[in-house]
Amino acid sequence: MINVDKEKCTGCELCEKACPFGAITIVEKIAVIGDECTLCGACVDQCNVGAITIQRKKIEDIDLSRYQDIWIVAEIKDDKVRNVSFELLGKAKELADELKQKVCVLLLGDNVKKFAQDFSNRGANRIYIAEHEALKDYYTETYSSVVTGIISKYKPNIVLYPATINGRDLAPRVAATLELGLTADCTGLSIHDGLLLQTRPAFGGNIMADIICPATRPQMATVRPNVMEMASIQDSNNAEIIDIPVNIDLQGVKVKTKEVISETASECGIPVCEADTIVSGGRGVGSKENFKLIEDLAKVLNAAVGASRAAVDLGWIPKSQQVGQSGTTVSPKIYIACGISGTIQHLVGMKSSDIIIAINKDPEATIFNVANYGIVGDLCEVVPLLTKALKKKLCED
Amino acid sequence: MSIKFTEEQEMIRESVREFAQSKIAPIALQMEETKEIPRDVVKGMAELGLMTCTADEKYGGAGLDAVSAGVIAEELAKADCTGSTCVYYLVPASWGFLLNKYGTEEAKQEIFPKTVSGEWFLGIATTESDAGSDVGATKTTIKPDGDGFVVNGEKMYISGVREAVTHGGGHITIAHQTPERGTRGMTTFYLPLTAEGITPTYIDDLGREGISCGGFSIDNVKIPKHYILGEENKGFYILHEGYEYARALISVICASAGLKSLENGMNYIKERKSFGKPLAQYQEINFRLAEHYTKLNMLRDLGYKALKTIDLEQAGKVGRFETSNIVAQAKMFCSDWACEAINDVMQWQGAFGYSRECPDQAAWRAVRSFSLAEGTKEIMKMIVARELLGKKQY
Amino acid sequence: MRFIVCVKQVPDTTEVKIDPETNTLIREGVPSILNPFDQFALEEAIKIKQEGDEIIVISMGPPQAKKALLKCLALGADKAILLSDRIFAGADTWATSYTLTRCIKKIGDFNIIFCGLQAIDGDTAQVGPEIAAQLGIPQITYCESVEKLEGKKLTAKVQTDDGYKIVETRLPILITGITPSSFEPTNPPMMSIMKANKKPFSTWDANELGGSKDNYGLNGSLTEVIKVYSPPARQQGVVIDEETAETAVQKLIDLLSKDKVI
Repeated sequence: MINVDKEKCTGCELCEKACPFGAITIVEKIAVIGDECTLCGACVDQCNVGAITIQRKKIEDIDLSRYQDIWIVAEIKDDKVRNVSFELLGKAKELADELKQKVCVLLLGDNVKKFAQDFSNRGANRIYIAEHEALKDYYTETYSSVVTGIISKYKPNIVLYPATINGRDLAPRVAATLELGLTADCTGLSIHDGLLLQTRPAFGGNIMADIICPATRPQMATVRPNVMEMASIQDSNNAEIIDIPVNIDLQGVKVKTKEVISETASECGIPVCEADTIVSGGRGVGSKENFKLIEDLAKVLNAAVGASRAAVDLGWIPKSQQVGQSGTTVSPKIYIACGISGTIQHLVGMKSSDIIIAINKDPEATIFNVANYGIVGDLCEVVPLLTKALKKKLCED
Repeated sequence: MSIKFTEEQEMIRESVREFAQSKIAPIALQMEETKEIPRDVVKGMAELGLMTCTADEKYGGAGLDAVSAGVIAEELAKADCTGSTCVYYLVPASWGFLLNKYGTEEAKQEIFPKTVSGEWFLGIATTESDAGSDVGATKTTIKPDGDGFVVNGEKMYISGVREAVTHGGGHITIAHQTPERGTRGMTTFYLPLTAEGITPTYIDDLGREGISCGGFSIDNVKIPKHYILGEENKGFYILHEGYEYARALISVICASAGLKSLENGMNYIKERKSFGKPLAQYQEINFRLAEHYTKLNMLRDLGYKALKTIDLEQAGKVGRFETSNIVAQAKMFCSDWACEAINDVMQWQGAFGYSRECPDQAAWRAVRSFSLAEGTKEIMKMIVARELLGKKQY
Repeated sequence: MRFIVCVKQVPDTTEVKIDPETNTLIREGVPSILNPFDQFALEEAIKIKQEGDEIIVISMGPPQAKKALLKCLALGADKAILLSDRIFAGADTWATSYTLTRCIKKIGDFNIIFCGLQAIDGDTAQVGPEIAAQLGIPQITYCESVEKLEGKKLTAKVQTDDGYKIVETRLPILITGITPSSFEPTNPPMMSIMKANKKPFSTWDANELGGSKDNYGLNGSLTEVIKVYSPPARQQGVVIDEETAETAVQKLIDLLSKDKVI
């Protein structure tokens, strides 16, 4: 429950302004909390006099020390380790160092043992391998039952999943089955008083929340791709390999795949969710033919080609390349927006990129508000010149 | 304290706003060029249930009350700077209200499904070249003829003539049936513009270009008996109920168009600098803004009060004359105040304000028409004065 | 058949602005709306609904969330249930899915549960799969459209990292939708709005749902938000507005080199 200490409250209205849900009103100089309150705690942090408190259930003394080590669930796609897995490993190592625990990798799939080396080279301490031909393709039922079983048996302290389509399907299933807390789409992870402090954006990226999971183990989170540094390759290569026997068949799979349609245009080879660099085009590109300009620039930068909803709707580029709230949310190192005005739905999907470069002929375009660098000009002129200049520059380096 | 809207009215507002902002606002100025509301917009308005929304559910309508109808008008006016869709909406809403109240079952079964679907237009045609606000001076006649009636005469400055002639529909019309009895001998009826004997003409008026303005001659047009609204020879009185409905909607439309224009103006004067400071810092400008904003909000409240009074009258809670009086107050200055505000917004924007690209000039031309349409402001003054001083004119 | 659609009323985060001086949310004038992802889920349910089928929308929220449910009724749902109780407040995804699952079990006899991909205020996408797990039924996430429903066999088009797949399953199933870019939300027509308030609407509290009160709301939450704050303001960018494209591009390259971006 949330309480306002009437003695302490000064009616300063700070909490009223801080409440994202408009649940607080000041009545006769006292904050009154209304039904819209979600107990998010924004007001508690704002209150200078400590008048607002949220009372939580007391955590019973349960022995959490039996849960040890930091695990990541690796994702394999098209017989390759997805980069996000190494990003998770990089972060997991940091956390493990601080807690003085081990970094473990859970490799699921068919014929995946060969990847153990990659993780070992990058500093994993222990690699659990669950190999089975029934795990060749991702199915919610098979993967969640295997992961659930392994977690119950080995009792990790922390488990990190990639916030990919599969990761976001798997993690909540496992969490609900084991009655564990789970934090989605984290962009930051650290250790705070021995607990995993999970930082994530909410409210369309307009607020950040720090979240902990005090009473259940393992502490689990999905982590947004392209946010963490990948674990670097080291000399170490002495990870312990543990084979986990898996006894499973596809009988239990209730949702069966009938047909797979790959839509990624060959030119834009790299999926937007994985790319370090993305060059995106919007309505301002003008035509399907002009998208060639965007692709050329992407090629030079070894980048993925992205698009705004407008460009997808106009049929210039497949839906799989759409960046934004109804497409893919991305956070690459560099995002180049060409001819994209910057609707809020698009901004939500890309504004956590490290560096944003915008090219637009309208100096008033909203995209310039979030851009680190902007060029006001016609992209048909600017983009080819930029392609040429970058090519030259990158050759020199 | 402004009017409190019901849950349904809030939903209506949200639904109409989403539609109007996405489907009408982007093409509004385009309608000034093409001089028509695209048929898919009309279809969208109909699918949303806006066309003759005042018809009962059993005829396919939504059976909306006047305040709800006002909410729709307000949202359309905010999105459509040309006012075209506002007129295309408000005329069938108002005269559909009258047809719903006084029309025969047979006429309603025949007409409403077609107007609700957006195919037909339902208009109002009372003005003639020598008779406008003075309805008694009407020259058109209606005479019994066999099972039905025959109509002769001419109507001028009528909205939606081309639409009704092209896509079907007709207009609520008034004519003398018993000329010797003056206004006590007039009959109100539905006149299909696709009937034999109707010859349309067109007039190039100043604004709201998306909907046509024209007239038609009526040459021995035969109409069935079930097209008569209410009782024969009592048409003059029921006609006013339709007018009042339209007047109240118009006052809300004017307030909304004016407030929308002020919003445009506000965005402009905050950004635009002159002699080193934003225009908004000049008292000459921000005082005008404050005055217009206050007057237009008064107008909006008065418009909704008028609509609410109409609803109360239907519920038998207020009398005929009280409605006429409040509606006339709401309509009296609606065009003047909105025009003054928009005129200033045009002025603030300099030469751009006077260009065809500027939405506000289109709004100004549209709103200007409402000083005349459905009763001039002079008539409104007469009504209020008469209510204050009594029937005997001073 | 009985379809249950889980919806949420959310602040329209696309309307949220940040006060540039204090770097905090300006919530004034931010309207509460039906979560757009949930509207897509509802419209998918309506799309496959046949004569005799029933669509029930459920939502957990304050009494004001009735508005979002009324919109669902105006869009074509048959019944609405609002789960409203002060003790539901502060629920994380686990406690939310627990509450919704209790409600779904109480309704019973369901064939398909529909959820939106995620709520635009929380963006977690966890509640759908967590309900499926608690109900012990299979799930289809990132569903772009329900292609076919024949008897108890359902075919759906599902988004993948690089395209689509077509999946097949037997009911019961929980589906979370990914709103395709071609989706245009329906604006409820006037006639349906006028009928919405006449459709069955109930409000259930914790007593109605039963179960242990410790599992609801803040008490039932396994995660705990300890701090909410504004993200660091992005530094003011450099906008290059030069006479020619050549000089502009050169200037950009210089800046990128200087800032060690490339």
